[in-house]
Formats: sequence, structure tokens, C-alpha cells
Amino acid sequence: MAFWRKMLFPFALVFILGLLLASIKINALLLGQGWGLLAPVIIIMALVLLYWGFEQGRVSSREVAVIAMLGTIAAVGRVPFAALPNIQPATFMVIISGFVFGPRAGFMAGSTAALVSNFFLGQGPWTPWQMFAWGLAGTSAGVMGIIFPRAGKKVMTVFSFLWGYLFGCIMNLWTWTGFVHPLNWQSFVATYAASFWFDTFHATGNAAFYLLFGPSFVKILQRFRRKLEVTLLPVIEGDKNAAL
Amino acid sequence: MFDQFFYQDKGLFLQSLHPVAALSYAGVLMVLALLFTNPLYLLGLLLVIILAVAAVDGLAAWETYLKISLGMMLLVIIINPLVVHAGETIIWWGPRLPVFGRLTVSLEAICYGAAMSVRLLAIISIFCLYNLIVHPDKVLSLLARFASRSALVLSLATRMFPAMIRQMENIREVQVVRGVDFHAGTLKERLPKYAALMNILLLSSLEDSLEIAEAMQARAFGSGRRSCYRRDTWRPRDSLCLGGSLLALAVAVYGQAKGCSTFSFYPELDYLIKGPMTVIVLIIIILALSVPVVLSWGWQRCPYFKAKI
Repeated sequence: MAFWRKMLFPFALVFILGLLLASIKINALLLGQGWGLLAPVIIIMALVLLYWGFEQGRVSSREVAVIAMLGTIAAVGRVPFAALPNIQPATFMVIISGFVFGPRAGFMAGSTAALVSNFFLGQGPWTPWQMFAWGLAGTSAGVMGIIFPRAGKKVMTVFSFLWGYLFGCIMNLWTWTGFVHPLNWQSFVATYAASFWFDTFHATGNAAFYLLFGPSFVKILQRFRRKLEVTLLPVIEGDKNAAL
Repeated sequence: MFDQFFYQDKGLFLQSLHPVAALSYAGVLMVLALLFTNPLYLLGLLLVIILAVAAVDGLAAWETYLKISLGMMLLVIIINPLVVHAGETIIWWGPRLPVFGRLTVSLEAICYGAAMSVRLLAIISIFCLYNLIVHPDKVLSLLARFASRSALVLSLATRMFPAMIRQMENIREVQVVRGVDFHAGTLKERLPKYAALMNILLLSSLEDSLEIAEAMQARAFGSGRRSCYRRDTWRPRDSLCLGGSLLALAVAVYGQAKGCSTFSFYPELDYLIKGPMTVIVLIIIILALSVPVVLSWGWQRCPYFKAKI
């Protein structure tokens, strides 16, 4: 059992690579349609692996609760503010969660936000891709937090801005692989051009949120990260008697 | 608005299925929608899905999904002819553009775009059906057996989502009572007011999450192996639906291998019906997939039948 646990990750990678190689053959079999089926399979496998990593790690009850709450806050961020239409702080929330709490919490917060908000807004073929895109946003922000723990407002604003476009790019991959043929860079550019303005709004919104709320939110989250660490002190015989 | 799941329990037949049967039915529909390229097969699939949606009283919900898909369908129909130069029957020669070369619109590309938009509509309708027939809690409890911790995170977040929206409303009301006017001022003046609201929401909800953690700790979370129990029963109806789905999948794989359900658009359009096998395979698939719809119809009409399955 322990062997399988260790080997699952390499096996899954080999399987994904095998799928990629087989796509050359499968594509011929499905008349060039293979990618519509293969791309979601690969995305779902990646998600399963990432969740499995979360299952295996040591996570305290405090971490579980805080991760769930961060995911919920990001999910609520998808509901637009009544007075500020078209502004959704979901990506921004996921990025700062990952930045403060690390890659694993960032991924969980992002993918939970996508899945849970879709329980209420309606699941669709976009769900795995959104889970993947937001999860990746959280993870990359977590990696940023590890490599550049002192990354300031400017760096993270640019980072959030770029994620607006990256998010659109990942979501475009879904439309592109599923419904456009043939898959070449011209058709990708055309698909991307169709969503360019939405992505620009998204990126600008992210940057604005980080510029305005980033530092104060990071401060709040860092306070809670310190609260997460619980040290249990061993009971010493003498103390026990003293207590009695 | 968000106090309820998208799913609403109406006590209908398809909603009473075991989650495994319902999930595999939706899963098979999904795989078939992604597999088929023959427009006839895609249309047949769409027909079955719409019948199933009608069986759960969901045509009103489906209309919303139709509106979402129409925009994307239009996009797919427009992009395909513009970027694809593989078609032989060219019906329009356009100007030269820097990235794409000379614009040409071919009949084949338009047909391909149309077929793909049918596929898109089918896929989105499958999710509409899924949202109508499967309760999220049932899926989460199924998931809890394999991945207890992730399922716990998901169910906590699912439970907190409507609560947090209510909490946000509460904080807003308190702020309004204290004299903050959220509607006054320019965007620049309004943003700090929302910043304060978000700060309070973040602080109070994270504080709540630590309380949840203590409650979990007090109930011995993570102290040993988890136990779980099953609430759903497997009934004859589930076997029938699962059997139908598996039969459809098997026949579809056979049809795919024999080339019945495939259709090549480029360089010239293929024949829609290549022989009697194309029709036979299609009919078998549609019949197998409509097992749940037929059962649902019988379930509503005949009390004896209802008692038996």
C-alpha cells in the first residue's frame, strides 16, 4: 500500500504523457476530435492528483477550517457587488490566500471556490477548468510567497494583473480544444481575440483590488497564519502532582 | 437568492436514483457527446437529453442554459469558418488579413461550426440535467468515502457559502445604520466603504473558522480512522438505468470503431448515413439512453410499476 502511495504520482505523470503521445494515434481514429475528450481527461487527472496530495499530507483541523473559509470567501467573491457591477474579487482572494498560506492551501482555496460557487450558480463543463485555473492561481501565488516572501505591493499587483490574462488563457483552452478545428495557432489567436476584452477587465480588476486591499488583507491573513500554529506542551509528572 | 442549491428536490423519479446510477448516466452522456462527430448522432443525443430534462420538470431552467450557450454557439460558428482553410467548397472570398492570410468561408467549415455548436449545446444541457437530478450533498457523501478530508473542506465551504452572503448583508446593514451610504459618491469614494466591509467580513469569518476548528477538535477530528455510513439504497431502477447507460456506451464504442458515428467534414462533407448500420446503432443508443426517461414516465402513470421498481 505504501509503495502504491509513493508510486501514484509518477504513474499518473507517465499516464498523462502516454495520453499525450497516444493523442497522435487517437486523433487519427477520432478524425482529429481526440482533444475535446483528452483535454478534460488530463485536467481532471491533474485535479485528482492535487486533491490526493492534500489527502496524504498532515493537515490539522485548524488548517481544514481556515482553508474551507478562504475558499468560501473567494466563492462569495464571484457574486458581484450590487453597487459595483462586473467587479469580482475571486481571483484576488485566491491569490492572497495562496501567497500567505502556501501553495497547498492556495490550490484548495481556489478549486473549492470554483466547485462550491458552481453548486449554487450551476455546474457546467467549465467547472474542472475553473477549478484548475483558480487552483493554479493559488498555487503559483504560494510559490511566489516561498521564493519571494518579501514581495511587495508592486510585484504582487503585476502578478495579479498577469493572472487575469492567464486565467482567460486557460479558459480559452477549453473552448479551443473542444469546439474549434483544426487546432493551430491562428485559431487559438482568434479564440483569444474573442475573449481579450473580458480578460483585460479581469486583469485590471485584479490589479485594482491588490492595489487597494492587498496589503491590509495580507496583514489580516498573516495574523491568522500565526494563530494556526498550535504547540502542544508535554505533561511533566511534577506539574501533574502540583495541579492536583 | 443563494440560500438554495441550484438543485431543488421535487420528489421526481430521476431525483430518486442512486447517486452512482445518476452520475454514470450523466457521465456516459458526456463521453458520447464528446465522442460523436456525426451530426445525426449529436442531434439524437440532444433529443434524449432534452426529454430527460423535461422528465424532471426542468425546461424553464434549461432555457437559461440555452441563453448562455447561444452566445458561445455563435462564437463557435463564426470562428470556425474564418480560421479553417481545409474546406473545398468555398462560398465567400474575403480580404487579406495580417495574421490569418486570405479570409475564405467554406461550406464545410460552416457545417463543422454548426455541428460543434450542437455538441456545445448538448454538453451544457447535460450539466443542466446533472444540476437538476443530483443533490450536491449526495455527491459529497459519495466522495467522503474516498477523500474524506477534501469532502469535509467542500461540505464546510458549501454550508458556509449562503451563510456568508447573509453575513455580508448583515455587516452592510450595520454599516448603513452607522451612517455609511454605499450608493453615494463616485467609484473612488465608494471603494473604501467596500474595503471596510470586506475587512470586517474577512476578520469575522476567519475568527469563525477557528471556532469551527475547535468544534472539530472536540469531536475527535483526525484522531483515528474515520467511519462512514450509507444512506442511499440501490433499487431495481438503478440497475436498469446503469444497464442502459453501459449498453449505450458499449454500442457507441462499437459504432465508433466501425465508423458509424464518425463524420468527416474536410475536405468535403461525408455522407450522413453510410449504411443501415448507422441507423441501427443510432436507434439502439437512443433507446438505451432513454431507459430513465421511459421509467420516469411509467413511474408517474402506473402505481404498480412504481411499487415494483
